[in-house]
Amino acid sequence: MTLPVKLSAFEAALAEQLPAGDLRAELEGRGLPHRRVEDWKWSDLRTALARLPAEAGELTLTMSRAPDARRPLMGAPDQIMARLAAALGGQAQVYDLHNGETVTLDASVAAGAGHGAVVVRARDGVHAVVRERYSAAPGAMLNLNVHYAISPRAHLTRIIEQDASPDAVIVVTTTMDLSQRAHAAQTTLGFGAKLARLETNISHGGQGASLEMNGAYLVGEGLHLDQTGIVRHTGPGGTTRELFKGAAAHGGRGVFQGKIHVERAAQKTDAKMNHRGLLLDGRSEIDAKPELEIYADDVVCAHGNALGAMDAAALFYMRQRGLSEPRARALLTRSFLAEPLERLSDEAVREALMARLQTALEGMS
Amino acid sequence: MAAVKETIEDVRRLEADKYKYGFSTDIEQEYAPKGLSEDIVRFISAKKNEPQWMLDWRLDAYRRWLKMDEPVWANVNYPRIDYQDAYYYAAPKDAAKYKSLDEVPPEILETYKKLGIPLREAEVLLGVEGAEATTAAEARERPRVAVDAVFDSVSVATTFKAELTKAGVIFMSISDALQEYPELVRRYLGSVVPPTDNYFATLNSAVFSDGSFVYVPPGVRCPMELSTYFRMNAQGTGQFERTLIIADKGAYVSYLEGCTAPMRDENQLHAAVVELVLLDDAEIKYSTVQNWWPGDAEGKGGVYNFVTKRADCRGRNSKVSWTQVETGSAITWKYPSCVLRGDNSQGEFYSIAVTNGRQQADTGTKMIHLGRNTRSRIIAKGISAGRSDQTYRGLVSVHAKAEGARNFTQCDSLLIGDQCGAHTVPYIEAKTPHATLEHEATTSKLSEDQLFYARQRGLDEETAVALLVNGFCREVLQELPMEFAVEAQALLKVSLEGSVG
Repeated sequence: MTLPVKLSAFEAALAEQLPAGDLRAELEGRGLPHRRVEDWKWSDLRTALARLPAEAGELTLTMSRAPDARRPLMGAPDQIMARLAAALGGQAQVYDLHNGETVTLDASVAAGAGHGAVVVRARDGVHAVVRERYSAAPGAMLNLNVHYAISPRAHLTRIIEQDASPDAVIVVTTTMDLSQRAHAAQTTLGFGAKLARLETNISHGGQGASLEMNGAYLVGEGLHLDQTGIVRHTGPGGTTRELFKGAAAHGGRGVFQGKIHVERAAQKTDAKMNHRGLLLDGRSEIDAKPELEIYADDVVCAHGNALGAMDAAALFYMRQRGLSEPRARALLTRSFLAEPLERLSDEAVREALMARLQTALEGMS
Repeated sequence: MAAVKETIEDVRRLEADKYKYGFSTDIEQEYAPKGLSEDIVRFISAKKNEPQWMLDWRLDAYRRWLKMDEPVWANVNYPRIDYQDAYYYAAPKDAAKYKSLDEVPPEILETYKKLGIPLREAEVLLGVEGAEATTAAEARERPRVAVDAVFDSVSVATTFKAELTKAGVIFMSISDALQEYPELVRRYLGSVVPPTDNYFATLNSAVFSDGSFVYVPPGVRCPMELSTYFRMNAQGTGQFERTLIIADKGAYVSYLEGCTAPMRDENQLHAAVVELVLLDDAEIKYSTVQNWWPGDAEGKGGVYNFVTKRADCRGRNSKVSWTQVETGSAITWKYPSCVLRGDNSQGEFYSIAVTNGRQQADTGTKMIHLGRNTRSRIIAKGISAGRSDQTYRGLVSVHAKAEGARNFTQCDSLLIGDQCGAHTVPYIEAKTPHATLEHEATTSKLSEDQLFYARQRGLDEETAVALLVNGFCREVLQELPMEFAVEAQALLKVSLEGSVG
C-alpha cells in the first residue's frame, strides 16, 4: 500500500519537462529520492530540492578538448537521478581517451536545474587521466550522469574535486565497467553542498583487475556530502582497496555508504574498505554504512569504520609546543585527511589537492 | 473437530449479536477459528479473562496493524504470508504426543543423543506420556534454574516459587500477571516496544498468546536463573510470545530463553516481543538458544521467526546483555536492541547465528546511545553453510547528548561451501564529537591449513569443522551461562552436519 506522493513545485516542474513515459510516470508516482528510500536514508534529496526555484537551468561543461562523439545515454533502472540526467541533459559527450593524455572536465550550473551526461572510454592498453570538477551556484542544481568503460589492460586515473557549494544541490551518478585485467584508481576531494551526492557504481570484472577508491572530505556549516560507492565483483580474482576519510565541523554532515558485493562467480576476491570520520564539534554529524554482500566462499573481504573526536593527547602536545588551538586543530585535521590523497602517484596533482584542503581548513578555523 | 466447529459457531453467534452480551468465558475449544479479525482479538482477550483496558489495547494495536505494510527491507525471501490462513489462538494441549519412547522416530532420538540431552529429559521435551512426573523430581535437583510458572501441571514451578517469593521476585506467565498484578503490567507493557513499533510487534500486541513476566524488586539479586526451558515444550511453542522483564533499582536477573532441542512446530509464523526495563543500577542478562524447525532440505515448512526484542536502560548505571545462539528457523528476522537512556548505562550483544540448508537469517542489534558515558559492545559471529543466506544488520546511533559514548562492534562471517552468502549491513550514526565508535567486519572461509591439521590429528571432518567453528565463536560462547554453553557447542556441530564433504 503505497500512497501517491504530493509533488513539490520542483518535482512537478521536472516532470513537465519529461516526455510521457516510464520515467515521467515514476517521478510523478514516487517523487525524487527521500529519506524513506533506503539508499537515500541520510540524504533527503526531496527535501533539499523542495525549496529550490523550480526553473530549468543549464549545465555548463568546460572540457580540455572537444568530445569525440555524441550519443544518447541511459541510466540503470534503479538510478532515477542518472536517468533524469540522461533524459534531460541531451546527448552525452563521448570521450575516447588517448594513451598518456589528461582530460579535464568542469561541470557547473549557474542557475536553475542543469542536467548532463558524459561517457569516457579507455580502450585496450590505454593509460590516461581524467580530472573532474563539480560546482553549482546558490539555488542551482547540478545533475550529472557519467559512464566509464575501461577495456582490458587499460589504466585509468580519475580525480574528482567537488567545490563547496552552499545552498546548491549536486548529484553525480557514475557507472564504471572495469574489464578484466584493467586498473582504475579514483580519488575524490569533496567539500559538500546543501546536499551533494557523489555516487559511484562499479562493475568489477576481476581476473587480475584492480580498483582503488580513495576519498577525503571536509564539510562545514550548512554543507552535506554523501559519498556512495557500490563495487560489484562479477569475475574471480579481483582486488579492491577503498579508503575514505572525512571531517565534519560547524554543523556539517558527512555520509559514507560503501558496499562490496561479491557474486558467486567472483571467487578469490580480495576486497578491503575503510572509512574514518572525525567529528570536530557537537553540531556536526557523520553517518556510515559499510556493507558487505558476499556469495562466494573463497574470498578475503573486510571493512572497518571508526568515528570519533580529535586525539586530545596530540592536541595537548601541540599546545605545549606553543601552537594556538585553532592552528593545532587544523594541523591535526589536515594530517588526518591527507592519507587518502597521499595515495595519488602524481605529485603535482597530490600537492594541488593538499593545497585546496589547506585553504579550506584555514577558511574554517 | 467438533470443538473447532463449535467455536466457529460461537463466534458466528457473537457476530450476529454484535457483542451485546460480551463474551462468555466457558468456551472449551482448543483453537480459535482460522483467520484474524477483531472478533478473534476479543476472543483471545476473553479467553484470558483480561481487563477491559487490555482488550482496548489489543484492539487498538489490531486496528493499527491493518493500516501497516509488511516490511520488505530485510534480505530474506519468502512467499507472501496469508495472515488469514493461520490460527491465532491455541489453548495449551494436555495430550501427550507419544505414548512411549518407542514411538519416537529414531532420527529424532539420535539428534537428542548428539546434543547430550538425557533420555528422561528428552521424554519431557518430546511430550512422551507420563514423562513429566518423573522428570519433575529430577528437575527439582537441578539447583539453580527456575522455570516459568505456566508449567503448573507439574510441581517443578512450585519448588522454586517458594524461594523466589522469599526474595520477592515475581515470575509467572503474563496472563497470570495480568490477573494478579494488573497495575504493574499496565505500567510497563508496551513501554519499551510500543504497539505501534513495527508490523510484527503490532501484530503481536493484538494477538499475543502468552509469555513470561518477571519483576525483580529494588536491590534484589534474583537467587537463580530463570528459564522458559520447560514451559515452551510442555505447551507447544508460544506462537506470539510476549515477555516482559522489569529489573527495579539495583536488581539483577539472568533469564534463559529457548532450548537446544530441535523444535518442530505446526505454526509457521512466530512473532514474539520481548521487553526489558532496567531502572537505576539494574542488570539483566538475557540468553537465548533458538533451534526451531528450519524446514526440509528444500526449505519448505520451516518456522518464520519475526522477533522484536528491546531493552530500555532507563536508569543510571544499568546494564543489559543479550546473548543468542540462533541455529533454527527457516527465516529469522530479529534485532535485539538496547536503548541506553540512563547515564553510564551499558549494552552488550553477543550472537552466534548458524544457517545451513535453505535457511535465511537477517539478524543483528541496535545500540541507541542517548545518555552520557554509555557504552556498548557488539560481537556477532555468523556461519553460513549449504545454500543459506545470512545478514548481519546493526545500528549504532549516538545522539548529541551522549557525550563520552563508546561502541565497539565486531562482526565476523564464516562461509562453508560456495553456495551460501554472508552479508554485513552496519549503520553508524554519530552526532557528537565526544564519542568513539569502532566497527570491524571480516568475511572468510574455514582455513584449509587448520582443517588439515585437525584431520592429521585423527579427527573426522565434521568434528574438525565443529572444533574450528567453536574456536571462531569462542568470544560469544563464553558469555553464555554454563547450562547453555555446553549444549550450544554440541548444537553448533549438529547444525553444521552435512555442510562439508
